[in-house]
Amino acid sequence: MDNVLKIEGMRKSFGKSLLYTLPMFLITFMFMTGGKPNFADTASALAMLIAFLLVNILYFLMHYTGKTDRYRAVLFIIFALSLSYTLIHNMVEVRKSMTFSQADILECKIPFCHLVIPMMILPAAFTKSIIFPGSIISGFANISSMVVLWLVATIVLGRGFCSWGCFYGGWDDGFSRIKKRPVIKKINELWKWMPFAVLIMVMLTAALSMMPTYCSWICPFKAVTEFEQVTSVESATKAGIFLSLFGGLVVVLPVMTRKRTQCSFLCPLGAINSLSNKITPFTIKIDKGSCNECFKCVEVCPLYALTHEDIKAGKVSLFCSKCGKCVDACSQKAIHYGIRGIPAGTMKNFSRNLFLFVSFLFMAIFSAGSIINTLHGLLKLIF
Amino acid sequence: MKKVKIIAGISWAFFCLIMIIILFPGLNSFSLSVSKLPFMKLNPRYTGGEIADQVISKSCTLDIRKPVFNGFLKERNSGFVQLDWHGTIPEIIKDSIDYDHDGIKDFCILIDKKNSKTVLEPIDRKVKGVLISTPTSYGWAVRIGLIK
Amino acid sequence: MTDSFILGLSSGSACLATCGMVMFPYLMAGSAGVKRIAIDLSLFLLTRFVIYFILATVAWYFGQALFSNPVVRNIVPGILYIVFAIMLVWYSISKNRNPNCPAKIVKTVNNHRLVPILLGVVNSLGFCPALFIILTKGATQGTLIQSYIAFLAFFIGSSLWFLPLPLAGKIRKKEVLTNIGILATGLAGIIFMIKGLTNLIGGIING
Repeated sequence: MDNVLKIEGMRKSFGKSLLYTLPMFLITFMFMTGGKPNFADTASALAMLIAFLLVNILYFLMHYTGKTDRYRAVLFIIFALSLSYTLIHNMVEVRKSMTFSQADILECKIPFCHLVIPMMILPAAFTKSIIFPGSIISGFANISSMVVLWLVATIVLGRGFCSWGCFYGGWDDGFSRIKKRPVIKKINELWKWMPFAVLIMVMLTAALSMMPTYCSWICPFKAVTEFEQVTSVESATKAGIFLSLFGGLVVVLPVMTRKRTQCSFLCPLGAINSLSNKITPFTIKIDKGSCNECFKCVEVCPLYALTHEDIKAGKVSLFCSKCGKCVDACSQKAIHYGIRGIPAGTMKNFSRNLFLFVSFLFMAIFSAGSIINTLHGLLKLIF
Repeated sequence: MKKVKIIAGISWAFFCLIMIIILFPGLNSFSLSVSKLPFMKLNPRYTGGEIADQVISKSCTLDIRKPVFNGFLKERNSGFVQLDWHGTIPEIIKDSIDYDHDGIKDFCILIDKKNSKTVLEPIDRKVKGVLISTPTSYGWAVRIGLIK
Repeated sequence: MTDSFILGLSSGSACLATCGMVMFPYLMAGSAGVKRIAIDLSLFLLTRFVIYFILATVAWYFGQALFSNPVVRNIVPGILYIVFAIMLVWYSISKNRNPNCPAKIVKTVNNHRLVPILLGVVNSLGFCPALFIILTKGATQGTLIQSYIAFLAFFIGSSLWFLPLPLAGKIRKKEVLTNIGILATGLAGIIFMIKGLTNLIGGIING
């Protein structure tokens, strides 16, 4: 009797893929237009149309080709670039500069980002206050709405937030795809615990100094958003640190290693999101029966979430951001999206479809505003 | 047991799906609810503290805020007091301030708006120096360093 | 106090990783229950506390004698902070740490009651970069009380790592916690390097 191993593919037919895309089509249309499409301004209408088509075509292709990562990455990278454009454009328009002044800090006008959240925890618990010069409820990127967004996303996606929600992750994700082969193939595995060390240190230093120390001193993404005016040796040092870390961890190392080194070796929020991987229903599972231990998945994983020992043990570490790169790379379809409670190797398509809908929907709606804004700005430049 | 785990897992996954679908339309009301939590207020180190006194003159109003010494577990030895001028600010501001309401002036401040110069004359030994002096959207703000 | 606590917290893990590995088997040996281990651990920590108290006193008086000039008071400690901070970062790289902790010599002592006390003496006098930094800090404090507070914060930060030892048999993934702690040591080194630079620049400007 023939012993043929049937490899369950993720590809769907054209019709089926369209059907799966229909809910995304309807929901994104509702969100982008607010239910009341307005085509009065041509540039706005065109921007909205392009953004709408972009997200839905990418989602369609995920189902039609059975591949996840390459289409996720397109939207993820565009999100990161468009958010930087939106922030910088707003600042230059309003303040004529990428820097914020002491007045902006005193008037609590700094937009809040989710990276502040780890530093808020201890002061919020002990002093019942937020140590950030932002707005609690009103205005762009206010504290309450960003906390809600992050909290829900991290409960639902776990560390998947780092590949489907974080508007900075697209930077090092993009740079990690430039070279076909890595120049630096091996980095000491000890470094992947660095985000936890950074998390402990920033939580402590922020609580004891009553200042968001990661934002003030370390955040590499200050280089592409906004930072303090350089008026002293201290602020010049800070600017130097931001630019160096951006250059090193976001540009150079990702290019050399084909890994997301900022996310793997620095980001303290990634450390917290790793812990929430324990509660999210969505996971990556390894079907040991199908796995031929080629370790291609280990090679392609951008966040050092897989090791040879993990594959042999049939489990994925808490660093996994569910980006789908390993799933796409596996020739045996042994590594796949799963749902907690469902045994590995079963209900693969169902698990993938459900996860993709949830995660892509979040990313599509979260990114829509800044993508439309960027397209609108570019169209106004062109026409 | 296996079936229970599967049902629980799928139920949790669908619940998460619903959470994502209602997240964005409900964001404003969820944010409003979160903003009412006891810890959702800005630390006085960032707001400048509550307004303790107001000095109203012809063209502008001076807000003298309560001194801020907030620390993590206990109050710190060093802090500041913030002064905000609102309205039509004259080119030269010259004020003598009693921030602790003991009837005795604690420091004199002179602000030359045109040259962005701020001169502080401490009277009380607790007054240390100017931490920040900057034009704002409402007028001018100054933070004076204090020790306990 | 903040930076002393952080220094103690971050360097305590490296301390535990080397010296603690000698103490742990001793604590687990024989029929030692949690209560017995807790008593031994308390003796160990009390000894460290007393040694640090003595060191705080000596460092402060030493500092008073050497750093009377305000400019020297900023510049010399600034340089020392930078040097020791670099050593601390170097120390956090595992291959640079001597795996043979001097505490091993205590294994040759027969008297059971003396062992935790001797371990406490050896551990607190193990001259590692973190201790050099806290000695420098103690020497530059304005008053003796401030020196005691700095050492106390350092003691508390470093001792936290030893507290779970009675339950260590039950804690899985000790290696992960040690790895994180060692990386945090390196980060603390960087913080002190920045502090040292700030002191140095301030001293040069004021000088």
